[in-house]
Amino acid sequence: MELTREIYWNVGHGVLLPMYLLVLAAFGILGWGFWQRIKVYRQGQKLDRRDDLVGRIAAALRQVVTQHQVMRVAGAGSAHGLFFFAFVLLTIGTTLVFIQADLLEPLLGVKFLIGNFYLLFSLVLDLAGLVAIVMLLGLLVRRYLVRPEGLPTVWDNALMQGLLLAILMTGFVVEGARIAVTELGTPLAAWSPVGLVLARALAGIDEASLRSLHSGSWWLHFALVLGFFVAIPFTRFRHLLTTSANYVFADRRPKGSLVTLDLEDESAESFGTATLADLSWKDILDSDACTYCKRCQDRCPAFATDKPLSPMQLVNQIQVVAFTHPEASLPATVTSDVLWSCTTCRACQEICPATIEHVPKIIDMRRNLVLMEGEFPGEEVQKAIDNTEVNGNPLGIGYASRGDWAAELGVPSLAEDAEVDLLYFVGCYASFDKRNIKVARAFVQLSQAAGLKVGILGKEEKCCGEPMRKLGNEYLYQMLAAENIELINGYGVKQIVTSCPHCFQTLSNDYRDLGLEVPVQHYTVFLDQLLGSGQLRITAEQFDCTYHDSCYLGRYNDLFAPPRNLIRAAGGTLTEMAKSGLESFCCGAGGGRILAEEKLGSRISEKRATMAAETGAPVLVSNCPFCLTMFEDGVKGAGVEEQLAPKDLAELLAERI
Amino acid sequence: MKILVCIKQVPDMESKFKLNPAGTWYSDQDLAWRMNEYDEFAVEQAVQLKEQTGGELVVLSLGPAQVREALKKALAMGADRAVHLQDEASYEKDPFAIASAIAAYARDENFDAIFTGMQSQDRGSAQVGLMLAELLGINAVSTIVDFSCDGNSVTAKRELEGGLKAVVKTNLPALFTCQLGLNTPRYPTLPNIMKAKKKEIATPALTAPASLTATLSVAYPEKKGQGLVLEGDVGELADQLLSILKEKTTVLK
Repeated sequence: MELTREIYWNVGHGVLLPMYLLVLAAFGILGWGFWQRIKVYRQGQKLDRRDDLVGRIAAALRQVVTQHQVMRVAGAGSAHGLFFFAFVLLTIGTTLVFIQADLLEPLLGVKFLIGNFYLLFSLVLDLAGLVAIVMLLGLLVRRYLVRPEGLPTVWDNALMQGLLLAILMTGFVVEGARIAVTELGTPLAAWSPVGLVLARALAGIDEASLRSLHSGSWWLHFALVLGFFVAIPFTRFRHLLTTSANYVFADRRPKGSLVTLDLEDESAESFGTATLADLSWKDILDSDACTYCKRCQDRCPAFATDKPLSPMQLVNQIQVVAFTHPEASLPATVTSDVLWSCTTCRACQEICPATIEHVPKIIDMRRNLVLMEGEFPGEEVQKAIDNTEVNGNPLGIGYASRGDWAAELGVPSLAEDAEVDLLYFVGCYASFDKRNIKVARAFVQLSQAAGLKVGILGKEEKCCGEPMRKLGNEYLYQMLAAENIELINGYGVKQIVTSCPHCFQTLSNDYRDLGLEVPVQHYTVFLDQLLGSGQLRITAEQFDCTYHDSCYLGRYNDLFAPPRNLIRAAGGTLTEMAKSGLESFCCGAGGGRILAEEKLGSRISEKRATMAAETGAPVLVSNCPFCLTMFEDGVKGAGVEEQLAPKDLAELLAERI
Repeated sequence: MKILVCIKQVPDMESKFKLNPAGTWYSDQDLAWRMNEYDEFAVEQAVQLKEQTGGELVVLSLGPAQVREALKKALAMGADRAVHLQDEASYEKDPFAIASAIAAYARDENFDAIFTGMQSQDRGSAQVGLMLAELLGINAVSTIVDFSCDGNSVTAKRELEGGLKAVVKTNLPALFTCQLGLNTPRYPTLPNIMKAKKKEIATPALTAPASLTATLSVAYPEKKGQGLVLEGDVGELADQLLSILKEKTTVLK
């Protein structure tokens, strides 16, 4: 027998015209539905994300086709990925039918759904349909029976899953009925195994009834597909387009980049995000691209310690405001407690399969609170800001003693001697905080052991401004930055090294917008290079430890290997925590929160200290003054101070010179 | 309503203080400067009163050119215009001379309410405000920790020892010196910081009489023996104290 099937068997070619007219109408509604949504995105500010548009589209296609970000998290991610691949195959299949039946055959008499290709076609599509149904059922069980905590389920979900299952099942009924009439008993039927099972079940029914069943199911299947098209813009199905669009317009700047506000702009009536119109169109699209997978919420350190912040809920609130009451105050809708709880750890953005940008929205709302309302998370924060304005550091210690920690170390201030190999930008904590001064000394000892001449800005150095910037005080940040940059450029500095990842991020990225072009490194990269080249030698001495990837070195800058190289070179046996690398759990001090009291929920630092203690390692190695400060308190609060000692990597290396 | 708030720029108390070459005051090297903390409460209260009643708020400071920074902060908090009585060696003036200079300016301005800080963090004499009121012939209420104004009548609470508060009522015009606990000074919003850059800072001529007192020398406190805590009933304590004063000091001759 011929290895093919009669397309439009039983329903007849007469279906063509109404079919395409209805599809056109459905697409019209789909287009209209999305146009209504695009009008809402356009209420936001302009933002140009058309750079390298071809590259963006190519990258987006790759992300969609491979489902890479979706499948990164096993379980629901794998199921959705497989479901997607199956559905894509089915769509390709339908498209091939359309191409042959409505174009190639009537116009050129060409048929390709024949022979071995047709057999492959049949088999692949049958299996795809089966996989799709199985994955859907699995996801249904997860959502409605297992009910993972924090997963938001709405009527959309039931509609979507019901519709998709109905489409798939009616598809098989159509096939089964057709096979029952035309292929049963032939070798062809085996190539549609699922259809064959159905056909066998229908075998006893008379042909006339089967033909009725077939054409009825065909129209039902068609109607459901039309329903699917129409439902896309009005349900969570919209993510097919919104999430894909989000991939195209993703933020391609270095991670953690923020808009440097033009504060001199006299026409600006307001700063920061007060209402929807202050967001960019991309921010509003972000809220429409969310698929409510809750992966961000699952990784948020604030959410994990009973603070009211959920990155997903925040994004969802923006969507609700955008589409129901766009004049509402966003900071008031989200609430101050939520906004101030964020540590800007970026775990949300790192894992989001829709490439939503959560953190800049929070910072922009904070900017509104600080710059327009003068509001801070607490009086202690306002005091720290005041201290920084007066003495250039949030600790409030007299600026004139900033370089005192380096006395007798042979480290000149650039004002005394600008002929140095590198400028060590010390930062506020390493300059003034007793615990962290040890780290500064260690770094200097290591650099000098490598034969390098280290210089510091000393009492001329001011806070890099990062905590203030993340709290929303863009004005104070820009003032501090301008002063630091003028000094650094004035001294003709060629190389900067920092021992703080926040200073590192700020000087190497944020300061680029304000005129600093000098290369900046974090000390772990710097020392790793020195060790690698042999310019610095240390004697390894074995020790057991675990290592905390700080947010600003890890997720922000993807610096995971250099610190681990250093640990190994020092003789460390490293037991990794479950949450390490990109999945590392914040110490709680980011986002300016090092300056604030933690009044809501439980302590993030204690939670992390407990995770570290669970590895059984006696030493918790970190690379950041904030982390070190938080862990010194955290191990006490968590009751593990007898078994776990927080240490900075520089200290361990300096002991081994 | 026309309101005046007088502020002073002082060094941040975390600075390491050294003596000036003459030994008559602290050296101004390596110091961070800020508005006197008590004056911040005064500015905040003055701004609140202005917001409540409408009218004009003038901020005034006597000092060298750099006090303009403190004036700008007050303007950013809500003062309408500033008056700078410029004096590059203002530290040489005693409270009487300073109060007289301010009074010379304020006399014809007919302020309804004047706010000052309770005392300055560097000199700490707590006299300028009260002297100013006396020179202007108006009532003064010092060390206020609460303030409310109803038309021309003010009800204030003064902080006394032991947590006690005295309720004082007075009509305007009057002067108030402000203490910690009166209010939480606002953080200036960015639009207000920007507006402040355009507000007027006038520099009228400074007329002041000579100081009535002069600072002869300034020195660090000597590190002597430890303090002594006496215990027992009041009568015995008095006897003990009297004998210590007679034998160990020259206070009683």
